[in-house]
Amino acid sequence: MVRGRRLFGLSAVLAVLGMAGFVLVLGSLLKSGLPLLTWRFLTSSGNVGIGPEILNTVVLCSITMIVTVPLGLLVAVYQGEYLRRQSRRVRELDHLRATLMSAPTIVLALAVYRVAVGWWHWPVSLLTGALALSVINWPFMVTVCRAALSAVPDSYREASLALGASRFETVVRVVIPAALGTLIEGIGMALARLAGESAALIVTTGVNVSQHWSLWGPGETLAVHIWYIRTEGVVSGRDAEAAATGVTLMIGISVVLWLSNRVAQLFGRSEGGYDGT
Amino acid sequence: MSTPSVTDRMPRRTAGLAAGLFALVGIILVASLAAGAWPMLGAPRAAANLIGAVWDPLRGRYGVAPFVVGTAAVTLTALVIAVPIALGVAVSIVHQVGALGRGGILRVLTVLTAVPSVIFGWWGLQMVVPWVRAHVGGPGFSLLAAGIVLALMILPTLSLFFAQALSKVPNTLKEGSAALGATPDQTLLRVELPFAMPALVNGLVVGLARALGETMAVQMVVGGQTAIPAGLAAPGATLTTQIFTDMTAFPPGTAGHAVLDIMALLLLAAMYVLVRTAERWGSR
Repeated sequence: MVRGRRLFGLSAVLAVLGMAGFVLVLGSLLKSGLPLLTWRFLTSSGNVGIGPEILNTVVLCSITMIVTVPLGLLVAVYQGEYLRRQSRRVRELDHLRATLMSAPTIVLALAVYRVAVGWWHWPVSLLTGALALSVINWPFMVTVCRAALSAVPDSYREASLALGASRFETVVRVVIPAALGTLIEGIGMALARLAGESAALIVTTGVNVSQHWSLWGPGETLAVHIWYIRTEGVVSGRDAEAAATGVTLMIGISVVLWLSNRVAQLFGRSEGGYDGT
Repeated sequence: MSTPSVTDRMPRRTAGLAAGLFALVGIILVASLAAGAWPMLGAPRAAANLIGAVWDPLRGRYGVAPFVVGTAAVTLTALVIAVPIALGVAVSIVHQVGALGRGGILRVLTVLTAVPSVIFGWWGLQMVVPWVRAHVGGPGFSLLAAGIVLALMILPTLSLFFAQALSKVPNTLKEGSAALGATPDQTLLRVELPFAMPALVNGLVVGLARALGETMAVQMVVGGQTAIPAGLAAPGATLTTQIFTDMTAFPPGTAGHAVLDIMALLLLAAMYVLVRTAERWGSR
């Protein structure tokens, strides 16, 4: 080691330590979970499989994204394209967005629970869960869209406006296409975040799988299932079952992230990945 | 922009409507929590009860101090463990990995930020709790275990922000420092870290917010004890875990639920302060 590079050595040691932590987490998850991961486990219901949980996760994430992607994009367009930059309204919306985005999901769920279950008398169900997830994801989607749109150089907008296009035409034909790669990657991040949500869903969608599947019935997701069988459940072999569910969830999340990254590159997003929230 | 053309009016209104709805959701959130909290906050004697250290809903004692202490202890433990490691990761990424490998490592870190908290909780139950029980003592379910689990959980986020902060230091500054005869260590300590400090603090605040708000991973390993914890190895509870566990036990309208609403408002206020702090540091 060169003299005067002690801190660099220390850094490398710390970095290896951090990596070891993650190898430990994912390694032990794979070690306990993989042996149980069979086709039957993935497709059957009840005590032997997680079929319904997979379905519920997909349904909840889909509904939430269908609701929040357009809404998030609209808010971001309003803030970034229609309002004057640095205006008071833009700053206030940004503070609200940042506060809601960093708010604990259980706090948002508590408010949704009061409004939907307490005031509107909705049952604890997939729909209530979708509402909670939408409230959780909206600020995140606005953030993703804001970052993507603001990365488009102003010269693009100026050129389009100078050619006689309206603001709206500029946004739809120039700004959004230019930002599409980053947008898709951000949507992938949002999906991954939603798939892993558990605390808010335990209180809004419940921990049961209903016999007759309906949006008005309770619907446990994969992440909730891991929590439930590991802390509340009394079935034997629950470690392994929780781990196998965790492996399934991690595979799903990795596939979503990998796919969104690939597709993003098709649309001209450069290598390097999503940079921070 | 001052005089929108006719074709632009509809889209502008639609987008404005969405933004208005967004603000409305925020207002309803706070208002519904405040409405729930009012029966407690509006009564002076009941409110005085909140500051106490005793949580005993059956006797009408609703002191939230145990949870504030628990939250502070868990968050601080997590930061003390995670910050040095994240700095190490960031320094290694910026200085010891070539530009080619850097993209790959940043990508892996980004994927790791998406690992769900229940998986960290599962790992905590599997390894951290038994480890604490064997080496530190106590039941294992403890603030310390929660802190360790959280530390690992916020590590990728912190590392990403720190790496980004350090990579923004201009090369001319580093070269200038080296030309004056500084060793790499001295350059790192006296040039790079001070230059990156605002961005580092910004990253720290983001990590802090994530640790403060985490529910699941903490709930699984913290033990859920509602007394003021005796030490780091003792079980405890945090604001978020207490909201989670008691939310269905106390239906809306009861005094217990009102206290949960107050704790939620407290967390929201804390997040707002953190957001403003990060903004101030980030814009320097």
